[in-house]
Order: sequence, then structure tokens, then C-alpha cells
Amino acid sequence: MTVADETAPFSPVPYQRTWQAFKFVAPLIFLVVVWQVVVTVFSVNPRIFPDVPTVARAGWGTIVDGSLFAHVGASLWRVTVGTVLAILTAVPLGIAMGVSKPVSDFLTPLFRFFSVLAGIAWIPIATLWFGYGFGAITFVIFNAVFFVVAYNTLLGVSTIPMPLRHAAASLGTSRWQMLKEVLLPGALPNIVIGIRTGIGFAWRGLIAAEMIATNVGLGYMLFLARDFYRTEIIVFAMIVIGLIWLLLDRLLLAPLERATIERWGLVQRT
Amino acid sequence: MKSLALENLSKTYFDPYRGTQHTAIKDVSLKVDEGDFVAVVGPSGCGKSTILNMIAGFVPTSGGRIMVGGREVRGPGPDRGVVFQSFALFPWKTVAENVTFGPKMRGASKEERAKIAEEYLALAGLSHAADRYPNELSGGMQQRVGVVRALANNPDVLLMDEPFASVDAQTRMTLQEELTKIWEERRPTVIFITHDVSEAVFLANKVVVLSKGHVLEEVDIPLKRPRVWDDLVEDEAFKTLSNHVLQLVRRA
Repeated sequence: MTVADETAPFSPVPYQRTWQAFKFVAPLIFLVVVWQVVVTVFSVNPRIFPDVPTVARAGWGTIVDGSLFAHVGASLWRVTVGTVLAILTAVPLGIAMGVSKPVSDFLTPLFRFFSVLAGIAWIPIATLWFGYGFGAITFVIFNAVFFVVAYNTLLGVSTIPMPLRHAAASLGTSRWQMLKEVLLPGALPNIVIGIRTGIGFAWRGLIAAEMIATNVGLGYMLFLARDFYRTEIIVFAMIVIGLIWLLLDRLLLAPLERATIERWGLVQRT
Repeated sequence: MKSLALENLSKTYFDPYRGTQHTAIKDVSLKVDEGDFVAVVGPSGCGKSTILNMIAGFVPTSGGRIMVGGREVRGPGPDRGVVFQSFALFPWKTVAENVTFGPKMRGASKEERAKIAEEYLALAGLSHAADRYPNELSGGMQQRVGVVRALANNPDVLLMDEPFASVDAQTRMTLQEELTKIWEERRPTVIFITHDVSEAVFLANKVVVLSKGHVLEEVDIPLKRPRVWDDLVEDEAFKTLSNHVLQLVRRA
């Protein structure tokens, strides 16, 4: 039998990557230009909002004295530990809920209850339990990520088309093989969405928690600068917080999505 | 390959809206000999897919027995290979990995699996697509994978649930010819569900017409093989048989 080759291999054109990067950066550059123009034209008081060179100088200062790296390092470390712990516990739980109706019936009301509390509502009690610093903040991040990932895993498992599970069963899968070969990869698109959303929550929760419950980190850097009327440091820290999130999403989460679920055609990136 | 027998099979559902029992299948008995090809046709809602799902073990029976090679069916198992209308290929596995999924589940070694992949992809004419993912293939190519994935697991019977209903008309005719060719060479025991009368007559040795959950008539199809559409389109015997089955289905 002869079969025509109906699919052309996908080949990325080299200049497209540069073009994509430019499209990504251009709005940000535009924003910086508008900022500088507005500050100059209206002679804004630097206490209210400093101009671009002032912020750049302040930022350079935190790089030279090393304080920026201390804050960024502390924040990233907390997010990493909290997120990894949350994923390791949430994915198995989400799959258990997706497979077993009694488990899901029992846990769903609890999830609804706790998902609204997830995040900074836990800060007061977390500081009582763990004291100020790493433990309390990591706990808050864990909470922010855990419920989103567990819920999305449940969603992922329950949206795997029935024929796929039937196909696997009629090809002789054991329970463990069904989990490993079908349920986990089938739920992966939703798990990745959950992780992406969860880290977004975690990053916001982190900044809030760090304003209250620590003496190092990006949130603390923001809050401390306010006490000394260092508006340029505040603005710089806000920029760093936003940029780290963009880089995290673009360099870590988006490639993860591309490498797996987009290749399989389960979601299309627009 | 082994024989398949349905003995007084029945299926009733509870209808939660009416609060009554609904009979989908009543007292269906059917025998498919080893190496035979039987097609089941009927209008939508006649229960043909329900029968297949019970044979596959996806839904429990309400009464009667299903025997495969003398053993009663309880739940899904690798003795019954299934080809689905929706293809049901694993999107996260390559074509070769899909084809060798069954052998992998029973612990076949890497070398063994490579040999199986080579043999069955050649059978499907898809050797060039071994490392592609299903979403990169056309519908016709995906269902070729679906068919050889079921065959590669060496089942006792092959269950096909309207496998060609979701591909275009030209591809469907090609797939039908390929399937008869594979069947003539390897003689698997096949039960083939379809609503397409000419497809059933073209493929099968025997066409079972189903109506409102019971067997209306079993029609033998003594057309000579190999069968190709170019010969059969103008063939008087094919036309007469198709017409006869069509009349039965329309009355059903």
C-alpha cells in the first residue's frame, strides 16, 4: 500500500526567533520611553515617581553592593522549595481524586474551602507556627501552589477521553501502568497549567508575605525602601519582580509546555 | 486467533429521567468462528455499539454470556483488541510507541518491540512515520496506526467500532481495501460494527442486521476474494446483497 506524505516537517526560520524576541521586548521599551517622557514633560517630583536614569543608578547600586542578589536569591529559593513540595504532594492527590469518586466527593468541599484561603490569609498563623522567615513564607507559597495544582490535576485526569482509557485497558495495562502511561501524561497539560497559574499566585503571595514576615527578599526590599522614602528603589524592585516573572514564564514554563504538550498537539499556543 | 460467541446477551439501562428500565439489547445470540469476519449493521440506537462495548468489557452485561475461545469475558483484556471510531491513539506517544504499547505492557524487551514496530508499521505502510506523533498524521494514517496497534498485541479477536466513520469517503474506501487485504493474509477473527451497508457487505463473510436490540437477520456474503472496489462497484451479486441488507436496515 502506498501512503502519500501528508505532513510537512516543521522548520523554524532563524530570523523568526529574533522577530519573536523583538515583539516581546518592544512593548516594554515603549513603556520605559513613555515613563521618561511623562516624568520630564510634567516635571514629576522624584519622591512621587523618579525618572529612568535615577532608577537605573539605584538599581546599579544594589547590584554593586550585592544586596539585590541576596534579596532575589532568598525569594527564588523560597518559591522553589514551596513549589516543588506543593507539586510533589498535589499531583498524587489530584490523580487519586480523578480516579476515585469517593475520594473526590470527600475532598471537594474541603478544597473549595481552602482554595479561597490559599495565599496570604495564612500569613498570621504561619508566623505563629514557623516564626518569621523561611518557614512561614515557604508555607504560604506551598499553600498558593498546592490547591491550584491539585485541582488542575483532578481536572486533567477527569478530562482524559474515555476511549483512551479503554484502549489502554484492552491492550493489557495493569493499574500501575494505567497511572504511569495514561493518567499522568494525559493530565500533564492541565498539571502544567496548574503549575503555571500556581507559580503566578506564589510569586504574588511571596511579595506580600515578605513585606510582613522576613528581613530579606524582594518584598522586604520594597517595604524597607518605603520607610526611607527611596522611591527609586521601590520602582526598581517592582521592575525586578515583574521581570523575574516574565523570565520565569518565558524561559522555564513556556519551554516546558512546548517540549511536551504542544508537541503532542494537546494545546495550541497562540 | 479464537472464536467468539454471544449467548442470550442482554443489556438494560436505568433511565434516570423517566425512572424506568430501558432495554438496549435483548437476547442476542451470535457466533463468530475462528478466522471469520462478521459485520454488524443497524440504524443508530439499535444497540450495535453497546454489544461491542460489552464484548470489549467496557460495560457490564445484564444477562447472558460472552465467550472468547471458550472462556467467559469479565472486564477488558488483551485477548480482545479494539479499534475505535475516535482512533484513541495516545497523543504523547510516537506512532511506533503506540503500535508497541500492548507488547510493552506485557513486558516485551526493547529489541522485541523494535521488531514488532518494524513489522506492523510496514503492514500499515507507515514505516516512514514511526517517530511522528499522532497529531502530525492525517485521519486515515491515524486509523492505520489504530488497526495495527490492535493487531500487534496478538489478540484472539479484533473488535472494530465504526473505525472508518470519521475519515473522508476516498480514504475510507482505501482503508476498507487495506483491511480486507490484511484479513485475507492473516485471517484474524473480526467483529466489525458499522452503519454503512456497503462497507459491511464489502468487508464481511456474514452481515448481522440488528434492530431495536435484537438480531433481525443474518446474511451470508459469498462474494469471492480478494475484494477491491473497482470490481465490486459494478458487480451484480454485490448490488443484490447490498440492496437486500439495505432494505432490512431501512425496515429495522
